[in-house]
Amino acid sequence: MTAVWSVALITFKEGIKNRVIFGIFIIALLLFAATTVVITLFMRDIVKVAVDLSLSTVSFAGLLTLLFIGVNLFGKDLDKRTIYMVISRPISRSEYLVGKFLGIVILALTVVVFLGLISAVPVILSKRFYYYPEARFDWTIYFIAVIYIFIKLAVVSAVITLFASFTSNSFIALVLSLVVYFIGQSTESVRLLLTSQVERIEVSPVLSYMVDIAYYIFPNISAFDLKTQAAHGLSISPSYILWTMLYAVFYIVIALSIGALAFRRREFP
Amino acid sequence: MQRSLAIAIFVISFAIIASIFAIPRVSLERDKLHQKEGIGLVMPSQVAQIIALEFKGLFADAVFSRAMTYYGGKLIRGEKTTEEEWDWIYRNMDTATDLDPYFLDPYYFGATNLAWGTNKVKEANLLLEKAFKYRDWDWTIPFYLGFNYFYFLQDNEKAAFYLMESAKRGTSSSLIPILAARLAYQGKRTENAIIFLQEIIRKTDDEAIKKAYETRLNALKGILFLERAAAVYQERFKKQPGNLDDLTAKNVIREIPKDPYGGKFYIDKDGSIKTTSELR
Repeated sequence: MTAVWSVALITFKEGIKNRVIFGIFIIALLLFAATTVVITLFMRDIVKVAVDLSLSTVSFAGLLTLLFIGVNLFGKDLDKRTIYMVISRPISRSEYLVGKFLGIVILALTVVVFLGLISAVPVILSKRFYYYPEARFDWTIYFIAVIYIFIKLAVVSAVITLFASFTSNSFIALVLSLVVYFIGQSTESVRLLLTSQVERIEVSPVLSYMVDIAYYIFPNISAFDLKTQAAHGLSISPSYILWTMLYAVFYIVIALSIGALAFRRREFP
Repeated sequence: MQRSLAIAIFVISFAIIASIFAIPRVSLERDKLHQKEGIGLVMPSQVAQIIALEFKGLFADAVFSRAMTYYGGKLIRGEKTTEEEWDWIYRNMDTATDLDPYFLDPYYFGATNLAWGTNKVKEANLLLEKAFKYRDWDWTIPFYLGFNYFYFLQDNEKAAFYLMESAKRGTSSSLIPILAARLAYQGKRTENAIIFLQEIIRKTDDEAIKKAYETRLNALKGILFLERAAAVYQERFKKQPGNLDDLTAKNVIREIPKDPYGGKFYIDKDGSIKTTSELR
């Protein structure tokens, strides 16, 4: 366990030292600043627009961190051949992989905590600017949505870990992870589209099956998107939290296990 | 070294000045392009839902504000909005509210402008009915709906239904329940109006408002009593009573109830019970 932890810590330190992260933070801060200007263009649901922008910024910054830094943290060891140094130590390959994953997750956690707290500022300002009496807003739900952004990032990290475990360079891992992210965000909508339009449009059963299979294989990332609930203060049931958390944990376990299996058999150049 | 520095400074300052001259020309050309561009297409909401990924809320904000600023620009320039453009505005509001069905602004903007700015009450109500389904805590939505049904479509029955819903959602205005009850009465839904008022009275703490409600409740009870009596008369004698005195003369009822507003009940030409006070 200490081996896993030390790999995680090194990975995290390496990630936080990366200059890209400052760029991401600056973009995020600029977007928060823009929020306070953009909300003045709307009519009544101003807090909703502020919440949309704030939470989207946190999520976007987290994704950028994972895709630009997280993916490279895997690649670096392989590209610079430092992996030989690591695997010659008393640490199993699975431990190394899990350690890397944890390091990236801690990096994502740092980004979400830091930006999640700052993201409350534009929302507070918007509430002071104008709060429509029939609008609904609740800080608890807002921060549940922030936590869910982190859970989503953890799932994406697991996917990145899986791809990094068997692809030969980090660019391919990046592209594959992006594809999974896009598919994971849209399978639910596509399934909904197919089922809601059955009467009007003939959908081939093969296509339906394929979408169903994709729904089970790829992570349903849209399940972790609670921005609408946060924007309108819609309550989230405990069972929703329970099942989505379980789903996230099991998906991460599956992705990491497959990744570890692939990584164990891998031969380094 | 000195020379290359001078050249560099010359090139940079030339480029800066040139670009400062170019910027207004660019915005001019862009304006021309935008005028030709017009309203353009509206993305179907099913497609938008898929490509918006996790940023559906932001997408909704963007779709809404684009249509709103377009309409605002026309309004400032004093141009008339064409039928085609109204249709475009409606479809934009529809897409925005498909992406985020709880977003108030497109409902509000669409409902008020489509109903008042042009004669698209049907579309305005379609938007509001969607809002009614999703924003199930917001009393203003059924209030606008009720108003549209009453004012534009002259459908008192539907108007009363929505005003009742509005009052159920805890409006702060004490006038809405009275209005709803009044519309319900005119829409021949006296019983509904009575039940509704009783419910409202139960929830009212203020004594003065309670009294106002109770007066109306008593008047409606009188009307319901007479309506039922008229129905009994119709069944017994196979014809409508000519006036209310027929009811007492033929012993259907003992006496005609008093109108608490000080008027007198009578039977209108269409057979419905009305009062000279018109419940005021």
